[in-house]
Amino acid sequence: MKNRLMLLTVAASVLLVPSLMLAHHGQAAYDVTQSVTIKGTVSNFKFTNPHCIVSLDVKDEKGEKQPWQGELTSPNHLVRVGWTGQTLKPGDDVTLTGFRAKTGVNSMWITKVVLGNGEEMKTGGGN
Amino acid sequence: MRNCWMGSILVVAGSLSSPLVLCAQESASAKAQSSTPDLSGVWNKKNMPGTRYGGYTFSAEEPSMTPWAQERFKANKPSFGPRSVEDSNDPVNPTTISATGCFPPGVPRVYLHPFPLEIVQSPGRVLMIFEFDHYIRQIWTDGRPHDTSLGPTWFGDSIGHWEGGTLVVDTIGFNDKTWLDRGGHPHSEDLHVVERMRRVDAKTLQIDVNIDDPKAYIKPWGGRMMFDIHPNWHISEMICEDNVNFDEFLKNEKPKK
Repeated sequence: MKNRLMLLTVAASVLLVPSLMLAHHGQAAYDVTQSVTIKGTVSNFKFTNPHCIVSLDVKDEKGEKQPWQGELTSPNHLVRVGWTGQTLKPGDDVTLTGFRAKTGVNSMWITKVVLGNGEEMKTGGGN
Repeated sequence: MRNCWMGSILVVAGSLSSPLVLCAQESASAKAQSSTPDLSGVWNKKNMPGTRYGGYTFSAEEPSMTPWAQERFKANKPSFGPRSVEDSNDPVNPTTISATGCFPPGVPRVYLHPFPLEIVQSPGRVLMIFEFDHYIRQIWTDGRPHDTSLGPTWFGDSIGHWEGGTLVVDTIGFNDKTWLDRGGHPHSEDLHVVERMRRVDAKTLQIDVNIDDPKAYIKPWGGRMMFDIHPNWHISEMICEDNVNFDEFLKNEKPKK
């Protein structure tokens, strides 16, 4: 019974791992009426066109790490509001606010970034 | 001013030219050059209130299409706008790895890709440098007629003339491989685009686009775009093929069961 429960939990976790469904899709995949805020530790920061991707681990209510991903606009726009490819690095604390993916997976279109030192970074124009 | 001084020195040295005549000639030439309006700078398209369509097309109203165009419109599956679908066949931004993308956006679609443009003016020619995939438009203002000897092209052939403070750009010679916008509106090789560009004030550029294609549209349509100047920006590299790499990135990032 315990093993079956563990199997179900593992299966559920796999389903909840974030996946950015559409490729270069604009914001169609996100629910712009639902804003969420998460705080976690950066695991990866992809600073590349068409959209930059922040990967982070967020502790859930049980204290377990849940992987999340957030999308930002093109690095061409971000550098114009003060970003570099090193603004976020693995191990950094970050608080992200954004529109959650419509399917409910741990994925968002980021609208606000607050760094570990409390500094808020602009997120540039939308795409 | 310097030229007037030079004229004076020549008179002192015994030149036949009078300094006043020389100064007048230089002023007239300088005035002629300075009278050409200046649209130069790095410009970024504004999101204007009430123009939510501005991300994917030029007008809130749906243009009336001929049956020829309606058939193509139905077949075009965009990745942006109210008709966007997951399996888009957009020639610039498809959403499936199997579809080839990053074809040139053409005119006027290039304006809808959200990256700045730079206008560089020189006598006889205006250049528009687009950050989106580094496209360049040449608009000849030296009075030459259209040159379509290359055959139909992705961006057509552009010539321009000044009407007061407005640069009127006339473009023909398009191939029919592009979409007019990101919403999937088609066009034929008969497409004729007229743009009217003027600097509303020091910081604002206005471009009115008129799309005329009787094979595809019952009547001309188009819209107005406004741009802010950004004196501290420069055009950077932006490579469309990175979108394709992004697809690969997404594919690899998906959890492996």
